Amino acid sequence: MSQKPVEVASRELEAQPKQPVARELTRSGPVFQPDVDIVETPEEYRVYADLPGSDGDHVQVRLEEGVLSIDAALAVEPEPGWVPLHREYRLGGWHREFQLSDRIAAERISAEMRDGVLEIRLPKAEAHRPRRIEVRTA
Amino acid sequence: MAWVGFSSPSGAASGDLFERLRRDLDGLFEQFGAQQPLRAPGGVQPPLALYESDDAYVLTAEIPGLKREDLELSVEGPRVTLRGERRIELPADPKLSVHRRERRPGVFRRTVELPAPVDSEKVEALYRHGVLTVRLPKQAQHRSRRIEVQQPR
Repeated sequence: MSQKPVEVASRELEAQPKQPVARELTRSGPVFQPDVDIVETPEEYRVYADLPGSDGDHVQVRLEEGVLSIDAALAVEPEPGWVPLHREYRLGGWHREFQLSDRIAAERISAEMRDGVLEIRLPKAEAHRPRRIEVRTA
Repeated sequence: MAWVGFSSPSGAASGDLFERLRRDLDGLFEQFGAQQPLRAPGGVQPPLALYESDDAYVLTAEIPGLKREDLELSVEGPRVTLRGERRIELPADPKLSVHRRERRPGVFRRTVELPAPVDSEKVEALYRHGVLTVRLPKQAQHRSRRIEVQQPR
């Protein structure tokens, strides 16, 4: 089924400071909570996460015990010779976790990263897809 | 590294040089267009950072999911202007249900007044992984030069 994207209406943008995540890390440095959108179609769930500065090589998506977790590190960083004059955003990695229902077909989860946006597709398990039962007339 | 906030300087009126420099630089950032920040007073989009090297200023912005045609960058004298629109696309499924919406679309316009003039012919901009990096080479007379100190014999 073709899915042409629709646009959400535009308005003046507002900023939100990054929310730090208190979490034990294997890496040092600050970690922030990315903004996400979560939507559902009859076939699947989709999670979109804004992870500016990160790329496919620096992001990890895991599903463990029904918890979907996103971890990302920066791929784009300031160069050592640059002296900061003014900074409106903090630099660091990203982390977020979601509890998923058991209606996901875990083996068919896919994820794609583009221009700092991570899109995760979580297909619903067969048994949980809405199914239309044809009623025949006798 | 110290976090330099954009919003108004702290209440403590410090005469120290660093604080004054920071306030001066904060004043270099202007934004046009009405904003009514509800959650982040003084917060604007996209968030910017300005760096300086010996021969250039570097402006960075976090703007994930941007299309080329939705971004316009212009340089006039010491002023850099970033204009554009962040769009959000969701599947066009008529049965779509939305559980969470945190990423916000919208138009933006930011202007930065640089501390020294730049060579607008040589400005380079790169958009990679949702980060815009703009390199603005300083005009020759404004580049810092390392001066070798001679030792008298």
